[in-house]
Amino acid sequence: MRKYLARRAVYAVVTLLGVSLSVFVILRILPGDPLVAILGVEGHAHMKPADRARIMADLGLSDPLPVQYVRWLADIGAGRLGKSFFRGDTVAELIAHRGPISAEIGVLAFIVSWLVGLPVGILSAFKPNSLPDGVARALSVLFIAIPGFWLGMLIVLALLFWFGYKAPIVIVHLWQNPWQNLQIVIGPAAVLGLAQGAYIARMSRSCLLEVISEDFVRTARAKGLREGLVVMRHALPNALLPVITISGVLLGFVLGGSVAVEQAFGVPGLGRALVTAVIERDIIVVQNLVLLYAVIFVVVNVLVDLSYGWLDPRIRYG
Amino acid sequence: MSDRTSEPERRSSVDRRTFLKRAGAAGAGAVIASRLQAPGSAAAQDATVRPDPPAKRGGTLRYGVHTAPAHFDVHQSGTVANIGAQSPMYDTLLRRSPKDGQTIIPDLAWKWEISPDGKKYTFHLRKGVKFHDGADFTAEDVKATYDRIAHPPKGVVIPRTPLFATVGDIVVVDPHKIEFRLTEPRPKAFMLGAFASGWNIIVRKKTLEENQGNLRQVMAYPGTGPFKHVSRKDKEVWIMERNPDYWNKGLPLVDRLEVYHMMPFSAELGSAFLSGKLDYARLLDPVSWRKAKEMSGVTAAAFNQSVIQAVWMNMKKKPLADVRVRRAMHLAMDRHTLVEVVKDTAPMQVGGFVYPFHEMSTPRAELEKKLGYQKDIKPAVQEARRLMKEAGYGQGIKGLDFVVRDANTFKLWAVAIQAMLKEHLNIECNLRVVQISQWFDEVGGGNFDLGISAIVSSLMDPSDYFSAWYGKDGPQNYSYWTNPGFHDLANQIERELDDNRRKTMVRKAEDILEQDPPLIPVSYEQIYDAWYNKVKGQNPSTYFGIYDVVRWDQVWLA
Repeated sequence: MRKYLARRAVYAVVTLLGVSLSVFVILRILPGDPLVAILGVEGHAHMKPADRARIMADLGLSDPLPVQYVRWLADIGAGRLGKSFFRGDTVAELIAHRGPISAEIGVLAFIVSWLVGLPVGILSAFKPNSLPDGVARALSVLFIAIPGFWLGMLIVLALLFWFGYKAPIVIVHLWQNPWQNLQIVIGPAAVLGLAQGAYIARMSRSCLLEVISEDFVRTARAKGLREGLVVMRHALPNALLPVITISGVLLGFVLGGSVAVEQAFGVPGLGRALVTAVIERDIIVVQNLVLLYAVIFVVVNVLVDLSYGWLDPRIRYG
Repeated sequence: MSDRTSEPERRSSVDRRTFLKRAGAAGAGAVIASRLQAPGSAAAQDATVRPDPPAKRGGTLRYGVHTAPAHFDVHQSGTVANIGAQSPMYDTLLRRSPKDGQTIIPDLAWKWEISPDGKKYTFHLRKGVKFHDGADFTAEDVKATYDRIAHPPKGVVIPRTPLFATVGDIVVVDPHKIEFRLTEPRPKAFMLGAFASGWNIIVRKKTLEENQGNLRQVMAYPGTGPFKHVSRKDKEVWIMERNPDYWNKGLPLVDRLEVYHMMPFSAELGSAFLSGKLDYARLLDPVSWRKAKEMSGVTAAAFNQSVIQAVWMNMKKKPLADVRVRRAMHLAMDRHTLVEVVKDTAPMQVGGFVYPFHEMSTPRAELEKKLGYQKDIKPAVQEARRLMKEAGYGQGIKGLDFVVRDANTFKLWAVAIQAMLKEHLNIECNLRVVQISQWFDEVGGGNFDLGISAIVSSLMDPSDYFSAWYGKDGPQNYSYWTNPGFHDLANQIERELDDNRRKTMVRKAEDILEQDPPLIPVSYEQIYDAWYNKVKGQNPSTYFGIYDVVRWDQVWLA
């Protein structure tokens, strides 16, 4: 187990180094001048070459690229995530302020996806080709197909024009006002959760269909167990492994989707901060946030892998 | 010499009675003088902002405007992201009256004088004004502020520097009197407009010294303004409270000001206003604005803004170097349709090369009779085709690289312009949509044929933007355009002190620009504001732009 963990840790570090290098290089070769966003169109137009050189030096952008990369990694190693090019706010402050909202959205989306996806999958699997199965399958295809940001915009507009309602426009944390906080996170979480729930419903349906034709399920039924017990105690645990695997992968979709969905709902979370930073060419913020997302993704996937052993005792880590 | 020696004798001859008479006369004179207009000053000098008689104090004003500033240095900024959020914390030497947005009135300078030769501007500063950190405001702060604006240190870029190009020495006469000595005179309206610009906030000399003249990352440097910084959440809200020690007693009227950062023309801003989460919204999108206009208890206003939306033509590329081709492309635009194309995205209006709402430009009715601005575009297209034929491009032009700034309005226009050029002149363009930062890279580097974007000026006065937009080597002359006749004329306009003669010259300049276009004017921006009727004391309908009346000191809540 320890050996396995050590090997996974090494893989994780290599993956993160790869991500860091990719994002660093891509941000440097992307066309566009960050000074346009910093100085504005007018200031940029009036900028002299000497001013440019001075500002680039102040921002640390005139150093050779390898120096900039190593300095960034050293900063991360020392627990410093750098500062925005613009207002000088630290990335750590940004994460501390906006991270909880995005984390809540992610966790709630995960819960919604399981609460909706799994029952729908079970229902479909045990009544295959019935009307409920048809409806469930149609809805799951619909939620997979609809882009989250579009659905988000529709929800925002419908609430506004029908009920004159809009969620709070600034961040309210859970510990400050749970009710207002819920109003901020519930929309994006529902949209993201329903999309992921659709994948979970489809996956759990197909896994269950496979499992319920196995001998041990037939044996359980032959023992006279109630159908509910057959599903919950025998079929479902054996069908869950692939669903858990896909759930880990789907987290990547939740993280990626949250960028657009937060924008659509006007939620000032990390995803929205990332969009703004990309538009502004705020390189330090972008590279640190992308790396943070990569860390979350890698850690969750390691946890998913480790959970296999707990769910299925036959699996051993060598 | 003899005068000096005789001075004691004259003094000695003053008896008690004469002294009292003279003292009385001097006192009366001083009182009368203080009521009279100073030489060269506007009648507005005694028009310091006062609260409306029925105004009430108290409450919180929730104001939604623009995204968060990219930095905190108002002088270095060119966007309302700064001025919208930060201006309430600062004052300027002069300001535009919030009543009409145009009349220049006193601010930190309670009186000013202009020498008869127009080369010396003397400002008398208020006494007893304090910065938010408790320091006294003096002429040294004004000097430090304007030295920085007129002659920025290295690494500091201030778009308003050209407005003060003729400012030679700035001399502190005493702690409350300062002189600006110009190397050559400029039109009074231009100079006073520059001093009254909302961008030129007065900051402490000490603040500038402590930060090596760069305030880009200094969040809440002290001002003398009606509101004081309380807190800021990046890209969310900037909260300010009433400055109890404000020099203008009785102002400001609201206790707390919350400035919410939201994208201009966005559904987010519109929905925040329509749902009642904001009391006042600026830069609303047309759909939300029209909806607001229909709501009871809400007032919606439209006013002009100092932004031109245009297409630049790279004159270093052969077909576009030909004046006939450029004029043909200018004439091939159906401008009324272009305004219509974006009517649900951003409010626009038709205009030429000078702000269409400025007193010196060709009046709208007259402009719309000119080729290129008529509703019926057939005559203009006919003339455009004739010019193309004459230039040897009767069969059209293929493969022009059209660089489009990534924003909804530009993308909509680019498609419409592409179609107009193809249909009217058989000019084929390939659209290339790029982010704003890349647009300036591409266009600034000459890597384009056509490019669409928007640029802004600080003042409405043509002398502010003639050199920047159309001047030889002007920083925003992206077409690399030159026309010696125009440059000479622009030079004269800058120096002409007589308003009528200036106006005639500006019209002449317009004619030159029409015949030899440095760019294709697409349209001029308007601003859509809306507010709930409980917000009193401000109606921007007659304002020129959103850069001058931005203080909120006179606004109150019913």
